[in-house]
Order: sequence, then structure tokens, then C-alpha cells
Amino acid sequence: MIVAAVNAFIVAFIVLNVIIGMVTYVTLLERKFAARMQSRIGPYRVGPHGLLQPIADALKLMMKEDVVPRAADRPVYNLAPIVFLVPCMLIFATLPFAPGLGVADLNIGILFFLAVSAMEIVGLFMGGWGSNNKYALLSAMRAVNQIISYDLPFIFVALVPVLHAGSLRLSDIAAAQAGLWYVAWFPLGTIAFLFYIVATVAAENRVPFDILEAESELIAGFRVEYSGMKFALIQLGEYAHMIGTSFLGALLFLGAWAGPGSDGSPWLGAVWFTLKAMFVFLVVTWIRWSFVRIRADQILAISWKFLMPAALLLLMATAVVVALQGPHGG
Amino acid sequence: MASRLGESFWGDFFRLCRAVPRSMKITLLNLFRRPVTVHYPDKTRSYPDRYRGLLALTYDKETGEENCIGCRLCEYICPPQVIKVEMLKAEKRNFAKVFTLELYACEFCELCVQVCPTDAIIMMKSFDMSTADRRELLLDKDRLHHIGLQFEPSWATGNLLRDMQTPPKAPKVEAAAPGGAAAEKAGDVAE
Repeated sequence: MIVAAVNAFIVAFIVLNVIIGMVTYVTLLERKFAARMQSRIGPYRVGPHGLLQPIADALKLMMKEDVVPRAADRPVYNLAPIVFLVPCMLIFATLPFAPGLGVADLNIGILFFLAVSAMEIVGLFMGGWGSNNKYALLSAMRAVNQIISYDLPFIFVALVPVLHAGSLRLSDIAAAQAGLWYVAWFPLGTIAFLFYIVATVAAENRVPFDILEAESELIAGFRVEYSGMKFALIQLGEYAHMIGTSFLGALLFLGAWAGPGSDGSPWLGAVWFTLKAMFVFLVVTWIRWSFVRIRADQILAISWKFLMPAALLLLMATAVVVALQGPHGG
Repeated sequence: MASRLGESFWGDFFRLCRAVPRSMKITLLNLFRRPVTVHYPDKTRSYPDRYRGLLALTYDKETGEENCIGCRLCEYICPPQVIKVEMLKAEKRNFAKVFTLELYACEFCELCVQVCPTDAIIMMKSFDMSTADRRELLLDKDRLHHIGLQFEPSWATGNLLRDMQTPPKAPKVEAAAPGGAAAEKAGDVAE
């Protein structure tokens, strides 16, 4: 009993630290990628080719003065970054990184993932409310509006592979794609993947759906009053959430850890999985740097008038196909 | 596509489907282009010929005398009034007893260079004078001399600029009545 608990603790500790390290370096990846899209170089000065930039950023954020607004609701304000960060970290709990390599491969893995990842709204709204700042509050309300609107199509689209694989367990969904990745399952899987990307961008509040941190009218949005380590925690949570959904996208649609040589060693499978997740992440970043922002009402219109009914139709079509052919494509 | 945005759902949808790949193609092409960044402190860009950079005072190379005659034309024309000159009267020619230039307020308009009758004040092809102490940007004669030696001068000097900017002498045929040969010559040029 104790041995198992210690074991679980160690595994969780390792996974958590790997993820935090990854999050730090993903910021560098994103900045470099974005810079190249604009014919710039990006971070270059700290370390060779800017490789130590994330560490410098983290150090800088730690050294920063922690300012709490006088009118802030202190308990809510101080608790918000943690409440925001914890669900973003928890979503990695059910992700299997390779066969038998993960914290917990629950039989309701994807349900857990979707439920927990939607919890970040609570921390977000606490931050916006507790700051006692009109910009933060407006931004938090917009964020809640948007995240709720996009979580529904996100969930419906994520259910397409679940229906086809016939299981809520993430490793079963990965195994069901042994023959054909769902992204290549034309047209249902392909459309589902496109919808997944759009819903991911929106649920992460990334450009072009970033109305909650509109620089011109809302400054930095709900985190406008946060500084120093609390700001770092919020950033960490956002990027962790982004990577988590990238991993989920790679698992649901891109065949998870399937790749040359991954049958023999799970570690190579984990590498393939990470590469695919990074691919999804870069596609999201690519979208981010290609479009201008969309108005708040347009964002809601896209979700409720197009994405939501289309995702429902897609789900129904998948259900019909699965009913005709049986799970795993018959 | 005559319909405006918002008129028909399917028209909008069709346009969106065309626009998304197009804009994403542009960013993708950019991704594989070479970055245009120049690593500034390591590599310097080549400046244009008439670059308007730091200001400097010139000194005669042979005699080592300053070219400034303290005429104060630059002080009078300077729009932000950052130049202060005091004349030192001498026998052969005049000198500048004091010449100060407050570079922190200079707007680099080049007017002082344009009016200088002796090409004494010029601009350099450089802007490398960032400092944490504003007093270092209060340039006196020695500092202006030093800047002149330190960097490459720009093409523009007062005389060259005036030569360039003076309109070519209009050959006035009717005004040039006396001296028939010269008038005829000018008339030829005008044609």
C-alpha cells in the first residue's frame, strides 16, 4: 500500500517536472516559430541561439515584485493562479505517453480530461473578479462566455474518435488507430480534426479568438493585476493547457505513439507522441500568426451558428457509420 | 463575389474557406524565407550616403585648425535650439570660443549642416551613442571633434548640399541684354 503510494508519488513528480520543463521550452519554440513567420530571428542573445531564454524569463519573473492591488479581494486574488494552474496540470494525469507509460490510464480517461480542462474557467474568473479591476472583470466575463461556447463543440468533436474506437480509455483510442489514423479517416475524421484545431484555438483563447486579452481595450485581460510569480503560474497554466490539448489532439487524431520503431520500445513511442503533439501545437501557432482578431459577437456566432451544429451533425454521422459497420470500422 | 459580408451564410462560408488557406500560405512561405534581421552590435548595416546621424565638428587636416568661424548661423536656424556658439574674434579669421550641442534634444534635421558656410559641422554615419547618463550627450567642442574622428562622415556638407539644392541658373534671355555672346550662349542652353 505504502509502496504503491510512494511509487505513484514518484511517477507524478517526474511527469509534473517534465511537463513544467516542456512548458518552459515550448514558449521558446513558439517565439522562434512566430519570429520566423515574420522574417525575424526571435530570442538569440541568451545562450546559443537563445536556448537559455526560457530560464532567463523564469528567473526574471521570480525576481519581480509581487504587487497586490489595495482594493483586491485578497483570498480570491491569491488563490486564483493556483486554481487556474491545478486543472491545467491535472489533465496530464490520464494521458498515456506510450503503452504503459503514464500516471493513470483511467477507463474514463477522455471524460476526465475534458471535464478537468474545462475547470480552468473557475480560476480564470476568480482572477478577474478578485483583481477588482474593470478590465480584468470584463476580460474574465468574456473568457467564460467564450470558453463555455467552445467547450461544447470541442467535446463533441473529441467524441468522434471515442465513438469509433468504442472506448473512453485513451490508450484504447490510440490502439484503435493501429490501421488508420483518424485524421486520415475521410471525410469524418478529417473534418473532425479541423474542427478540433479550431475549437482548441478558441478554447485556449489564442489569437484569432483572443478577445479576453485584447491589448487595445482590455490590456492583458484577467491577468492585468498579476505580477511576478503569480503571473508566471498563470502563464504556466495556459501553456500547460495548450500542450495538454495538443497531446490530446495527437492522441485522438494522429495515431498517438505510432511511428517507426515504436512497437519495440515505449520510449521511442513517447518521442513520436511528443513530436506529433508539437506538430499540433505548431499548427495552432501557425493559425495564430496568420489571422487577425475576430470580434466577440463573431466568435460566439461561429461557435453557436456553425461549429456547434456541424459538430453535432458530424457526431451523428459517425454514430450512423459506426452503427452500420460496428466499432473499429467493422 | 459581389455579395458583402453578412449577406448570405453560404457566401461568407465559401469566402472563408478560400481565405483561410490563402492567408496560411503566406505565413508558411514566410517561414521558409531567410530572416531579414541584422545582428546589430555584431554586424552593422551599411548606411546610406546621406545618413543623418551624430553631429561632429571638422578640423583642417593640415593645420589642425577648426573650420568653425563662430558665425552662429547654425544656432539661429536650429529648430529645437540645441546649439550654442560664442564667437572668438581673432586677426585673420574668427573661431568658436564655445560650441555646445545638446544631442539629447537634437532632432537630426540637418539644417545646421546645410547652412554652415565652412563645412565645419557635419553628420556622421552612426547612431551609436546610447548612454545611461544624459550629461554625456551634452557635446562640447572636444567631444564633437572626437566624434568626427571616430565615425565615417556622411556625404553631406554645407557646400555640397547648397550646390545640389541651388536651382540651376535660369538663363534669362531678355534680362541678359548686354554682352550678346553670353546671352546667345545661354539661349542655346535653354533650348
